[in-house]
Amino acid sequence: MHELSIACEILEQVKNTAAAHGAIKVKHVTLQMGRLSHTNPEQLSFCFKAIAEGSIAEDADFIVEMVPPSLECECGYTGAIDEKQIQESSEFTSELLAYIEVDKECPICGKQAQLAGGRELIIKSIEIETEDDLTADR
Amino acid sequence: MLMHVINMEHDVFKANDKIAEKNRKKLDKYQVFSVNVMGAIGSGKTTLIEEAIKQLKEKYKITVIAGDVIAEMDSSRFRKLGVPTIPVNTGKECHLDAKLVEKALNEVDLENTDLLFIENVGNLICPVDFKLGEHLRVVIVSVTEGDDIILKHPMIFKTAELAIINKVDIAHAVDVNAEKMREDILSLNPDVPVILTSKHDWESLETWIGFIELGLKKNAQ
Repeated sequence: MHELSIACEILEQVKNTAAAHGAIKVKHVTLQMGRLSHTNPEQLSFCFKAIAEGSIAEDADFIVEMVPPSLECECGYTGAIDEKQIQESSEFTSELLAYIEVDKECPICGKQAQLAGGRELIIKSIEIETEDDLTADR
Repeated sequence: MLMHVINMEHDVFKANDKIAEKNRKKLDKYQVFSVNVMGAIGSGKTTLIEEAIKQLKEKYKITVIAGDVIAEMDSSRFRKLGVPTIPVNTGKECHLDAKLVEKALNEVDLENTDLLFIENVGNLICPVDFKLGEHLRVVIVSVTEGDDIILKHPMIFKTAELAIINKVDIAHAVDVNAEKMREDILSLNPDVPVILTSKHDWESLETWIGFIELGLKKNAQ
């Protein structure tokens, strides 16, 4: 179970960014989690809420957007994976295996494309409340 | 009251990867060949590292970083063989990360090390997402884990650079087909070298040790 240490890292980053922007409250924390990463979104959310107690992010909504891997071929083609196929085979096997075993034939050159991405864990953005009229950095 | 959305785009795993890259540079500077040994509890990580140490320690200077929930037990096994060993207690953590290895590397006499074994915490899941800066990612699986274990944990086998199926001498007793395990690994990762080993079969151990020595020689070039 490594969700706790990841949650600690996320809270640290969120607190630093919030403080740097003069926040009095963090309302939302939005993450992007790759579907091939070995992190459990529910456990991560639970850990974050537990450690955020008493901090500026105490009442923040913790939003996890799951990001699927995509296909990348040596011919230069990049494209999405047929999610319907993943859903169907996920019923018989794990989702991880479904992505690995999905048909990866490149629609352009016919070679086998590779999985790209899907392993990230990104703190995408936070929504904060401030008292003063700050020009929010972007 | 005003609301602002702040874009962060901070990748937690990339932060780990960056420290891993630093570790790698440090190891390269001293020409240390490093091996991250992963596998489940009881798969034989410590034993296979011990066998390699016994065989290679006259020729090469070896150091071990032993990661475990309580690292002292395995560390004493390595010290008995006369190699410097740095225990890394992960406490409740289920894997080593680049930061822990960075800290441990400060205690390694890198000038006097040719080969560094990093024994990861016994686990087929969590170590996958955390690069350490290693030159070779090895995963060890034993037949006692059952022959469906590989497809249950695809990512660790897909990202491994060497896969070992261990304890093949007792495969029959536990009703497991080691060849099926090999095929499963190759279906996930067609180019990965797969070695079948048993502590009681010297030839199989020589193959594993030979692979390490090959890496050492390539790294020295």
